[in-house]
Amino acid sequence: MSQYFAGVDIGSTMTKVVIMNQSVLASVIGPTGPEHRKLANRVMEEALEKAKLPFEEITYVVATGYGRINVPFADKQITEISCHAKGVAYLLPEARTVIDIGGQDSKGIKLKDGRAVDFVMNDKCAAGTGRFLEVAAEELGVKLEDMGKLSLEARNTVRISNTCTVFATQEVVGKLSEGAALPDIVAGLHEAIATRIYGMLRRLKIEREVALTGGGAKNIGLVRALEAKLGFAVLVPPEPLLTGAIGAALLGKDIVKEAEKKGTPLPRAERRLQEATLFT
Amino acid sequence: MTEEKKPEERKKRRTATEAASNIGPMVKTMIREVLEAKETKKPIAYSFICCCYDEIIRAMDIVPHWVENYAGICGAKRDAQRFLERAEAENFSRSLCTYALCGLGFDAWREELGEMPPESPWGGQVKPDVMLGSGQMLCDPRNKWFQAAQHYMPDVPVYDVGLPWPAYESDYDYRQVQDYYVKYIVKELKGLVKFLEKHTGKKMDWERLSELVALTDKTWDLIWETYELRRAVPSPMGTGDAMNTMVPIVFMMGTQQAYDFFQDLNKELKQKIANKEGEVPDEKYRLLWGGGLPAWFALSDFNYFNSKGAVFPVETTYRMIEATYNFDIDLSQISDPLEHIAWRWVKFWTYWHDRARKRPGSHPDVERLIKYIEDYKIDGIVMHEAFSCRSWHPGLIWQLNLLKKVYRDIPSLVLESDIVDISSYNEADTRTRIDAFIDTLEAVKR
Repeated sequence: MSQYFAGVDIGSTMTKVVIMNQSVLASVIGPTGPEHRKLANRVMEEALEKAKLPFEEITYVVATGYGRINVPFADKQITEISCHAKGVAYLLPEARTVIDIGGQDSKGIKLKDGRAVDFVMNDKCAAGTGRFLEVAAEELGVKLEDMGKLSLEARNTVRISNTCTVFATQEVVGKLSEGAALPDIVAGLHEAIATRIYGMLRRLKIEREVALTGGGAKNIGLVRALEAKLGFAVLVPPEPLLTGAIGAALLGKDIVKEAEKKGTPLPRAERRLQEATLFT
Repeated sequence: MTEEKKPEERKKRRTATEAASNIGPMVKTMIREVLEAKETKKPIAYSFICCCYDEIIRAMDIVPHWVENYAGICGAKRDAQRFLERAEAENFSRSLCTYALCGLGFDAWREELGEMPPESPWGGQVKPDVMLGSGQMLCDPRNKWFQAAQHYMPDVPVYDVGLPWPAYESDYDYRQVQDYYVKYIVKELKGLVKFLEKHTGKKMDWERLSELVALTDKTWDLIWETYELRRAVPSPMGTGDAMNTMVPIVFMMGTQQAYDFFQDLNKELKQKIANKEGEVPDEKYRLLWGGGLPAWFALSDFNYFNSKGAVFPVETTYRMIEATYNFDIDLSQISDPLEHIAWRWVKFWTYWHDRARKRPGSHPDVERLIKYIEDYKIDGIVMHEAFSCRSWHPGLIWQLNLLKKVYRDIPSLVLESDIVDISSYNEADTRTRIDAFIDTLEAVKR
C-alpha cells in the first residue's frame, strides 16, 4: 500500500502544503493573511484535490513555520529550521549553508549530512525580512513582485542608510523628492536588506554552496544583491517557497520509516481536516 | 492611566531543588526587613551586588536595599512596565539599563507621591539614607544611576567606590601591577567607611568586620564545592535553580544565613546524586549557560529546556565566587580586613588570566567557558543577549566566536530579549529557537 506524506508550512504571509510519496505529487501556496490564517485546512484540501487523494490516505502530516502549533490535523510539529535544512538537502544536496528570507523573519542555517547543525535567526526586526520590502514597495507604489526586475535597471544605486524599516521608508520618500530614479532606490533597498542579512550570517562561517529559500529568493534583485555581498552565486530551488513544506513532508517520512525499521510502526492518529481554533 | 495598569502575575517556576524553592520567601523577608528598618529608623543603603562592601555595611549595622534585585523582582512579577514607562516620561532613554530605569522610575514616582506607588511589588523600595555606587568594569550604569536618583532625592548622599582590577594582557603578568590595585581599592574602602560613619552615625566594628570577612571566605569555598557537585551525571540542579540560589551569593554574603543555605543545598545535592536523581528524569543534553543575565519574566524557559531533556549543570552568570584555596595567595594570612577584601576581589577577577596566557589568542572569559565545557561534559552553550545591558552582553557573541576559534566548534544558541523589559520578549519565537537548537544538538550527536 502506498504511503503519502504531507508537509504544511504556515509562514507569516503564505501557507504552503506539499503532498509526497517518492516525489512531490501536489503542492499549493495560499495566503496566510489575517482572515486566512486559521484555514490551513483549505489549502490542504486544495492540495489533496490536486493529488486526487482523500485526507485519510495521508500517512503522516508534519506542520512547520510560525503557525505550526495551530495545525490541528498535524501528527507532529517541527521547527522551520529543521524543515528547511531537510528540504534543501533534498533539493540541492550540494548546499552547506541555507539563507531563508521569509515575510517576518530571516535565518541562516549551517548543514552537515543533510541536517541543521547551527543557525542564526532574525525575528526581532523587520529590516532583513520580506516585510521591509513589502512596506517599501507600498511607499513607492510598486508591486512587490516587480521590485526585483525593476532593480536590475538601476544605473546608480542609492544608498539607504537607515536600518530601521520605518526610518528607511521615510528616507525613500526623501530620495524620491530629491529626484532619484525608482530603479536606483529599489536597488538600494535590496542592498540594505542584503547587508543586514549578511551581517547576521557572519556568525555562521558561511560555507559554499549557499542555497537561498523563502519568498526573498523569488526576488531577483535581492538574489543579486546577496550574491554581490557573498562574492559568488547562490543556488535557488525551482520553487523556493515550498522548501520548508517539502522538508516537513520528508521528515514525516523519516519518522514513519524509522518506526517501521524498529518494528514498531506508528499507529494512525485520530485526526480530521479542520480549521485551527486558536492562533496565538 | 498607563501607570496604574497591573498585568497578571506569572505562575511560580517549578524548581528542581527544595533549597531553590525556599528562595522566594527568603527574598520576601529580605525586602520586608528593609521596610521594617525604615520604620525603626535604622540606616538603609541603596546597594549594588558584587561591590566588595557586603561585609562592611553588615559590620556597621547598615541595612542594604539591593536595587538590582528589586528591579528583577518587578520583572519576574511582570510588573516592571509601569516603572519603565515612568522613567521614560522623565526623559530617560529606553535603551539604558532597564534595572536602572525601573529603579529610577520607581523612585521618581514614590518621591512625587510621598508614599509607595500603588500596589508596589512586595511593599516597595524605600527611600534610603545613603546610596553606594560603584565604578568598575563589570557594569557602567552603576556610576551614574545613583547620581540620577539624586534628582529625586537630593538630600541622599552618594559614595562611588572605585573597584578596578588588572585588565588581561597576553604579554604581561598582572602580578607586576596587582599591588597597586590592592592599595587603590583599600583606599577606596577606607573612604567608604568614613563616609558611612559620617552619614549614618554608625561606627565601624573592626573586629566584627574581620569575623564577617572570614565567614565570607568560608562561604565562597562552600558555594564552590556545592556547585561542583552539579558535575554529576545526571546533574541534580540546573541554571534555572541557580537563578534562585544566586540570592545568598549576591545579596546575603557575609551572613550566617548564606552559609547555612549552602550547607543545606550541599546536603540536598549529595542526596540527589546518591539517589541518581537528576533535574530531569531522562537527561539527554548538558548545556552551559554561557553568560548574560536571564529574562526574569521568562524563567520558565528553563523548564521548557528541561521538557526536551536538556539541563544546565553550570553557568557563568552569578557564579561570582571561586574557592579561595585555589588562589595563588593565602588569604588567611592577610589580617587587615579591608586589605583582605581587596585581595579577594583582585584574585577573583584575575583567576582565569594564567590559563588564557597559555592558549594563544585566548581570553580569560573564554578559558572559563572551556573549563566548564570540559568539567561538566557540556554539549552546547546558551547565551542571552539582553538589549539593555550594554556593558556585558555585547561581548557575548565575541566570546562565542573566540571560543570556536581557539577551542572547537560547539552548538550554540543566542536568545534575545531583556532582563526586565517584557516588550522585548516573544515566547513563541524563543521556543522556536529552543526547539531548533535541540534539533541541532541531536544532529551533532548523531
